[in-house]
Amino acid sequence: MIFTIFKKELIDTLRDKRTMRTMLLIPLLVFPITLTLFVNVSSSFEKKASEEKLKIGVWGDLGAKYWNQLEEMPDGLGKKELQNFEDSAALKRAIEQGEIQLGLIVPKNEAELAQTKKTISLTWLFDASEVGRQERAESYMNYISDKAESARLEELGVDAEKLHPLVPVFQNCASDKKMIGQLAGGILPYIFIAFGFIGCMYPAIDLFTGEKERGTIETLLTTPVSRWQILVGKMMVVVTSGMLAASCALLGLFVSIEFLDIVDNKEILDIVHGILTPSFIIAMFSLLFPLVVFFAGAMIPIAVYAKSFKEAQSIITPLNFVMVLPAMIGFFPGIELNAMTAAIPVVNIVLSTKELISGTLSVGYYCISLGIMLLLATLSVIVSYRQFGNEARILN
Amino acid sequence: MIEITDLRKEFILSKQQRKELNTTEDKAIAVDGVSLTCQPGRIFSLLGPNGAGKTTTLRMISTIFKPTSGSINICGIDALKDPQEARRKMGFLTGATGLYARLTPNEIIKYFADLYSIPKEVYEPRKEKLYDLLDMHDFQSKRIGKLSTGMKQKVSICRTMIHDPEVVIFDEPTSGLDVITAENIIQLIRDCKDQGKTVIFSSHIMSEVDLLCDELAIVHKGQLKYNGPMSDFRQNMEASNLTEEFIRIVQR
Repeated sequence: MIFTIFKKELIDTLRDKRTMRTMLLIPLLVFPITLTLFVNVSSSFEKKASEEKLKIGVWGDLGAKYWNQLEEMPDGLGKKELQNFEDSAALKRAIEQGEIQLGLIVPKNEAELAQTKKTISLTWLFDASEVGRQERAESYMNYISDKAESARLEELGVDAEKLHPLVPVFQNCASDKKMIGQLAGGILPYIFIAFGFIGCMYPAIDLFTGEKERGTIETLLTTPVSRWQILVGKMMVVVTSGMLAASCALLGLFVSIEFLDIVDNKEILDIVHGILTPSFIIAMFSLLFPLVVFFAGAMIPIAVYAKSFKEAQSIITPLNFVMVLPAMIGFFPGIELNAMTAAIPVVNIVLSTKELISGTLSVGYYCISLGIMLLLATLSVIVSYRQFGNEARILN
Repeated sequence: MIEITDLRKEFILSKQQRKELNTTEDKAIAVDGVSLTCQPGRIFSLLGPNGAGKTTTLRMISTIFKPTSGSINICGIDALKDPQEARRKMGFLTGATGLYARLTPNEIIKYFADLYSIPKEVYEPRKEKLYDLLDMHDFQSKRIGKLSTGMKQKVSICRTMIHDPEVVIFDEPTSGLDVITAENIIQLIRDCKDQGKTVIFSSHIMSEVDLLCDELAIVHKGQLKYNGPMSDFRQNMEASNLTEEFIRIVQR
């Protein structure tokens, strides 16, 4: 009987365009589209910024020395066109009005400072709201600065190495897998939680509140099928929908990484391939399955209580934030899986998945996390059953 | 056969419901000590104004609601002890019955046949017979959402009868239907009687009751005001017509 109900509800759900959009289409396309857009837009901006020919204003006769250095500079550091300005105010105004992109101000006592071997401050004017301006100024400055430093050391007859007795060398002992797990590991469970919730939402409302609204539940309750069988059959569809939505989102992310050249670093790609093993996927789904059951179990009592689709939606939508917010904890550095965090629902899933990706998940904490989520899922099913059996709620 | 003894149903009122009903009582009595018997081959009508307790009574008979006290016996089965078995004997149809808009009549009929565990060899000929009778062949594979009200009502009838129930419960079955569509239901009720099934239907329309029923029960504020053969009701009435007599009894 449960399977009969599950089959019918699944067909019904799969024919609902709204559910199909939130369950399959949006999760599947969201990452390929957004990541492709993001990568293309940001790379085109970077390319434009690096290829752009900048007009550089140089103030006064004092700038002549630097004018020459700027002219000598190879085009590899960025194309440029120099322009002379008579006063600093005009230089600043020209930048504000977009007539030039960079301005160089040389201090009046530059010659004196150079003579006495003091540090000379060169001021670069730029508009920080434009992408890549500061970077271009820095690359020009580094070129000029390196030349000035070499010239001064030569004048003083000092070997550059003698000036730097100690040079730090930082060596990272963490594996690349661990690094990826800790830095980006939070995103996987976050995606799963967000889309798992959305995937559960529409079927839960449609299969419970919707049946009340359409007047089909009364007939169903007069059939020789027990309420728990009806509940389980329907709940299975809600859970399937949540799992499908979350899996589609992850599949979309995987397709983006694999086929859309989002990650151009081969080493990182190899690490990602190394992480995505069958055992990793099974372990991750084992953690996420009770979470989706919990979502379904939290939504069903609300859907049974609500008198209309709108009412159910207005209660469940804010619940989304309550459920997804703890998932964001996974992004905070320093919060680790321990006996306490393993006992906090949702947070434990995020942290366990991070550890799973890093390959550092302890069996004990995994069991605590899984046990807590299974307990919560069971409780939510019991609450759903009680609410579904509530005569005052089940019919409008 | 349906036998109901001293049936009572109380609903606990929430704070909001108490406010809406302007009462300080913590519970509302929807049905209060109703006893009646519906015989096979007879049409039993439950007549009463809106809010009289008709739907609650029928929902208790169909085991959707559990009575606060009293007993319900359906074809020899104690419906309180074995509700699932009692439901096998019953078909339930209301005027407000909805159907799954995204499924086809074929899918809905098969779904309900499966819920009633009807074997394939029984299901196929019974479905064909009902499709012939209700002229449903032309739209059997169209989605419900695309059917007219009359077509939908035929699907509802087919769904109600697919397991060939011994007892058929109609809760205001013609409510909201046009005359032609309502005629299908009236014909179904007559057919059920001819087939020797036990029929109970609720209505607040006296003319409909007059047209169909053999036994009459008038309910008001959860209590039985009249229970007896329709012929006796007609014979003993004090008002000039059936509607006025109904109003007189209710206001008594």
